[in-house]
Amino acid sequence: MKKQGNIFICMSGLILAGALMPVILSQYHLYILTEIIIFSLFAVSYNLLLGYAGLLSFGHALFFGLSGFATALAIIHFPGLTLLSTVLIGLAASIIAGFVIGALLLRHKGSYFALLTLAFSALFYAVAVKWYSVTGGDNGLNIVRPDLNLGFASISVSGLAHFYYLTLIVVGATIIFCWYFTQTAMGKTVLLMRDNEKRMQFLGYNTNFARLILFTFTGALAGLAGSFYALHFEFVSHMAVSINMTTVVLLMTFVGGTKKFWGPILGVFVYIIFQNYLSDLTDRWALIMGFIFVFMVLFVPGGLSEVIVKIQQRLFGKRNDNGVKYIASEEGNL
Amino acid sequence: MEILIFFLHGLGYAGLLFLVSAGLTLIFGMMNILNFAHAAMYMLGAYLSYSIMNHFTGQLWISLLICPVALFIIGALVQRFLLRPVHKLGHVHELLMTFGLAYIITELVQWYWGNYPLAVNVDGVLNSTVHVIGLTYPVYRIFIFLCAIVVGTLMALILYKTRLGIIIRAAVNDSEMVNALGVNVPLVFTGVFAFGTALSGFAGVIAAPLLSVFPGMAHEILIDAFVVIVVGGFGSLGGAVVASLIIGLLQSFGVLLIPQLSMALAYLLMVIVLIIKPSGLFGEESL
Repeated sequence: MKKQGNIFICMSGLILAGALMPVILSQYHLYILTEIIIFSLFAVSYNLLLGYAGLLSFGHALFFGLSGFATALAIIHFPGLTLLSTVLIGLAASIIAGFVIGALLLRHKGSYFALLTLAFSALFYAVAVKWYSVTGGDNGLNIVRPDLNLGFASISVSGLAHFYYLTLIVVGATIIFCWYFTQTAMGKTVLLMRDNEKRMQFLGYNTNFARLILFTFTGALAGLAGSFYALHFEFVSHMAVSINMTTVVLLMTFVGGTKKFWGPILGVFVYIIFQNYLSDLTDRWALIMGFIFVFMVLFVPGGLSEVIVKIQQRLFGKRNDNGVKYIASEEGNL
Repeated sequence: MEILIFFLHGLGYAGLLFLVSAGLTLIFGMMNILNFAHAAMYMLGAYLSYSIMNHFTGQLWISLLICPVALFIIGALVQRFLLRPVHKLGHVHELLMTFGLAYIITELVQWYWGNYPLAVNVDGVLNSTVHVIGLTYPVYRIFIFLCAIVVGTLMALILYKTRLGIIIRAAVNDSEMVNALGVNVPLVFTGVFAFGTALSGFAGVIAAPLLSVFPGMAHEILIDAFVVIVVGGFGSLGGAVVASLIIGLLQSFGVLLIPQLSMALAYLLMVIVLIIKPSGLFGEESL
């Protein structure tokens, strides 16, 4: 219990530090930091599937992009809506999609599941490209962020600093909620299901239903990230539902490591900062990222978080907390 | 008459799809790896063929000889030095490895050959047209379909009539048991992977003059090939034949009937198959 308190203090500390950032950072860096926060949620939701439930999905961008499109379309076609209601519309779209697709696909596991999610993602991508009148096809949709209406006051979030705070509060709180979820009975059930599904079934758990709930939940989280992505860039295009977007989140999650809750967040930081740095140096940054990825799959399969945990253990002895051991056990069953 | 032309178009694309998905489904059935790099190998074959045809010799058959051999070697190296070491880490890591490979190959190809479409021209008989019952039809598309039939027949002969074929089919079923019987299964795996890759390269060479060569070509065929192996049933060669024909014709007639939705039709078919028979048309029930 003490450990949980520690993590909570850590997270609050991070958020406090985040609150000071607009004062410290330049506009450009603040812009990137906002992007990092949004993608952190995306990566965390992806890791709830990959690391916790052991489901490798190649269609996670589907929910991200769908929600982004829903938000953008709501802003364009219903000009009076407030910011949060457009986000809710995006969220609703991704929840419905998650439930329907999950119900169809979750009978399958492993490679089959990966392949089927990829195919669904391709279906949505095809629609996004071809349905020009709604999605804008190759040109995408340009939007303007609506005001945030809190009932008693209307706040403009067109400025970066304001939007940054909004992102920090909403997305940050959601990430903390995700962490809380992994500590609940439901979150633990997911882990046990991954490690030994048969046994959980014998114990009376409806594993298929639990998996469906989790799939819908992670879809909704990715959807929230997608809505904020659309609002942040004030633009959404078929890139948001493409395989490339899933590739990006997969790279981020994997670089950070799937065994720790904070792994993907670390991965997002490293990925985005590294990408910005590399793309200034060379046009072939994607190639370098690819080589790093293959190198990591070969030699550091646990990602950066595993490296950090190992260094920590080397320095401070085997002071491994229970949570880590839990997640780190039996990864071969993924 | 129009319908006949679209039918022939569909057959041509079906032939191409079969060449790509046959290797994919074989690798999947045997090693349980969804090879994301497969389509990237197809693209690599097409680009290699472009270079051979434009800078070395204009003969398609030389390309058809060299490229599959080159890709066979690449495939063998990839399986031996990249996939085998991660095998013990589980399926997810194998998948991620092929995924990363596809990413790297795509980037390398764009680096070396550029980001724009390149045309590959064939001459001689293949560049001509035939006139049958009042129709004018390019020979090349028929050539593709014939190639697919020849390759498919050869594969079926090897798989079902030779000792090697028996070993491969047995290893698909239960690789551990076959290994215990004294067959060098890892070597067979390497061979099958390399063969599948070579087949993919062969398809790339054939596709190049028809579709021209461009960086997005891997992505396009990959999704279609995946749909083929889902619809046909994972690991089933016969399923790949039937599903390639269905998808090829569906794409072709889709363009004729409902142009906006032609891309989505194949996916819709896949969803329907999944609901009715999740293991695919020819897949085994127990997955």
